[in-house]
Amino acid sequence: MPRTSIKITGAAGQGIDSIGEIVGKGLKRAGYCVFGYREYMSLIKGGHSSYQLDVSDRVIRSSETSIDILVALNHHGLELNIPELKRGGIIIHLTEGWKFPPEIQKIIDKRKLSIVYLPVENILASLKAKPILGNVLLTSVLFGILGRDRAGLKELVTEQFGHKKDLLELNMRCIDEGYKSKEKFAPTLTIPLPEPNPVFRSHMLLTGSKAMGLGAIHAGVRLYAGYPMTPSSPLLTYIADMQNETGMVIKQAEDEITAAQIVSGAMYMGTRALTATSGGGFDLMSETLSLNGIIENPAVFVLAQRPGPATGLPTWTAQADLLMAINTAHGEFARCVLSVSDAQDCFDLMPIAFNLAEVYQAVVIVLTDKHVAEALFTQEPFSQGKATLKRGKLVTDRKELAKLKPGDRYDPKAKDGISLRWLPGAQAATYCAQGDEHNADGTVDETAFNAKAQLEKRMKKMKALAKVMPQPELWIGNREQGTGNRVTVRLSKQDVSLDVLLVGWGSTKGAVLDAMEEMGKGSEGSKGRKGREKRIGYLHFTYLWPLRTERFAALAKRAKEVVFVEGNYQGQLAMLLKQECGANTDAKILKYDGRPFFVDELSSDLQKYLNQKPGTKNQ
Amino acid sequence: MQSYSCVNKCTWCDGCGDYGIWTAVKRALTESGLAPWQVCLCFDVGCHGNGSDKLQGYRFHGLHGRVIPFAAGAKLANPKLPVIAFGGDGASFSEGIGHLVHGIRSDYPIVFVLHNNANYGLTLGQASALTWQGQKMNTAPNGIPEHTLPSMDFVFSLEPTFVARSFSGDIPQMTEIMKAALKHRGFAFVDILQACPTWNHFATHEYFLEHCYDVTTEGHDTSDFVKARAIAVDTSKRISTGILYQREDIPDFYEKLVPRQGKTTTPVEEVAITDVTAYMKKLL
Repeated sequence: MPRTSIKITGAAGQGIDSIGEIVGKGLKRAGYCVFGYREYMSLIKGGHSSYQLDVSDRVIRSSETSIDILVALNHHGLELNIPELKRGGIIIHLTEGWKFPPEIQKIIDKRKLSIVYLPVENILASLKAKPILGNVLLTSVLFGILGRDRAGLKELVTEQFGHKKDLLELNMRCIDEGYKSKEKFAPTLTIPLPEPNPVFRSHMLLTGSKAMGLGAIHAGVRLYAGYPMTPSSPLLTYIADMQNETGMVIKQAEDEITAAQIVSGAMYMGTRALTATSGGGFDLMSETLSLNGIIENPAVFVLAQRPGPATGLPTWTAQADLLMAINTAHGEFARCVLSVSDAQDCFDLMPIAFNLAEVYQAVVIVLTDKHVAEALFTQEPFSQGKATLKRGKLVTDRKELAKLKPGDRYDPKAKDGISLRWLPGAQAATYCAQGDEHNADGTVDETAFNAKAQLEKRMKKMKALAKVMPQPELWIGNREQGTGNRVTVRLSKQDVSLDVLLVGWGSTKGAVLDAMEEMGKGSEGSKGRKGREKRIGYLHFTYLWPLRTERFAALAKRAKEVVFVEGNYQGQLAMLLKQECGANTDAKILKYDGRPFFVDELSSDLQKYLNQKPGTKNQ
Repeated sequence: MQSYSCVNKCTWCDGCGDYGIWTAVKRALTESGLAPWQVCLCFDVGCHGNGSDKLQGYRFHGLHGRVIPFAAGAKLANPKLPVIAFGGDGASFSEGIGHLVHGIRSDYPIVFVLHNNANYGLTLGQASALTWQGQKMNTAPNGIPEHTLPSMDFVFSLEPTFVARSFSGDIPQMTEIMKAALKHRGFAFVDILQACPTWNHFATHEYFLEHCYDVTTEGHDTSDFVKARAIAVDTSKRISTGILYQREDIPDFYEKLVPRQGKTTTPVEEVAITDVTAYMKKLL
């Protein structure tokens, strides 16, 4: 798989993000698929952070653990990241007179790594430029090494600084100086990229959080309340930054309980309102979820996962809150849990989540994680024809409103338990959205008969929801003719027989699909070869609760091996499937170290299952 | 007032201050020309919350301590609809005190009616943060060690734009205060000293009758923050009631929102699938 990986390391506050963003955007515009991945610590300045860009002329959806180019803004990168370099890799650093310890020097020699020291401070001083411009300088050197011309870079920088003439001029000089420096300090060094693929030029380069923000705006969200917590904060930041254009009401709440209550009040009143948080904040919101359950208030909560318990690893990733999303909050009530896996999902699932919430008058939890929230995706502009506004049994017609009785609101006889809903301020009979157990009009009613009838009414919605939840999607590898037998993944409507059925959810998808392509594993099997190729497929769950198990059960029955791939310790989806349909869940590839799945690492884990001889299943 | 009446029977104790407050609320809404469908009434949990199904109007009865943010969210979604939040002293000065702080600080354009009976009535008479010190209460046979939270001093420290006080026996005054609160530009804090004959044997209906006086009879200037705070805080000899403080020269929370300037629609009316093409272009 032609993939070039560039990693920029340094302390927080040194500008690695700005280099990463400009290099990423520049390469995307040149016609490459870029996947960006940031690692950083929970501090504002210092620490050791990195920004990795994986670049390809084909669709890529994940990062790999090894890199081609390391740009080390301080000496920590030289101490920590050299072992990640591939053979023939390049190190660009700014630390004058750095001596590598013998064990690192061994790696450098063995892998034939090239080392470029750039006297950035001196170059900037000669240009009378501030240290911040070192970012542009380094970007230019990097572009030179990647064989990119300076025109594209200049265009990008002009976009950013075009309004400040002096600064722009200085930036342009830094770019020219960067290209000169490349010739001076690394004249022969180059890591050429493959021919660009023009399709990516018109794509966006965006984080999952921005995609989700766009999805929320698209879905008609008009109020957002949130309390900062990584990794949900980038969504709050994006939506807040957009407020003057969208006209949205933004409230940075005093805590997560407040945020949850504000959006619940706003949804009760009849707008579309959103909040997002991470595990700890979600714990605080859970009582409000339960309240929405009993008052049958549509509500959408985004749960951006990071590793717990407690503060855990604040700036790292996990998929460990699936069971919490499904089980959180006291009492039994209707809820729906979805999970995004990439930028496309982040956009698409927002209107879907709000429609489900309004149609079923239920709580919808949308799971994301730090990986999706902060990774950079190369994404085709979102198609806006798909989403529709579904508001279910919302009564707005004047004549219909006039006919309403208070008892229509929570009528226990309503089909599927979904009763009529109308909004405060509508000229109609009024009702009480009652947090105590209540009868049809919201009057408190503690009789056994009523308690049973109302609970059953609300839980009927789960049955109705279960019927409309889409089945998981099956991805299989397709061997392309005439492309050197290259494998690309595609969705399969048909259930096929597989040797290995991988099962996952959330951000795992990107690495799994990339691994399937990079391992060159088709799903049709190859005929005429000695020894049949193992067929592999990936079953991805977007809709997690209520859980549809039929397709999984059918595929699992036909597969020789079922392997769960999840970013948590227990295999939480596997646990659910065992609970719901008695699945055999012995084989799992699990990761719970705060890092996402990397394509090369996952490929080698998968290889073990593919190499397995028959009869050694599930070991 | 007929339009607000309801068939459900009241369940409060004999002599409970909730009867008076409940009556004043219905009267104030009626005299303000608001039909039940034109108001949103949000109730916290407590004895007063048991009144959520004893009148008409679009009502909400939520979680203990959390009524202010819910009411604020409702109001921000549809600023055209008057929103009143009701909460007790137990919820509002303990579990939900953060919401009270930020509600006043944010100056949401809502009315907050504090049912202040100085104890947790519904859970059978435990001390609240506003219970007088030394009072023997349920779970506190020796009285509570904590000192009483100086609620009015606390509220004034948050720079409120509307503070009024009344007591549950004075229906005409409560009515007038609530009508004024409904018209107020920002967050209207209405403290109603409430008789709780079952659990509160220190600040009783009779005590309020003896101690309360109407500040309008003494020509109180409601724009005088320092004076208002002083007469609100010092209740040692007599208790000031009426509108104690009000200013309307600052825009409320919603009015301050830059993105909402010049908008004639409400967020409720704006729900639609929205074109994001222009926003996507920025990300190319």
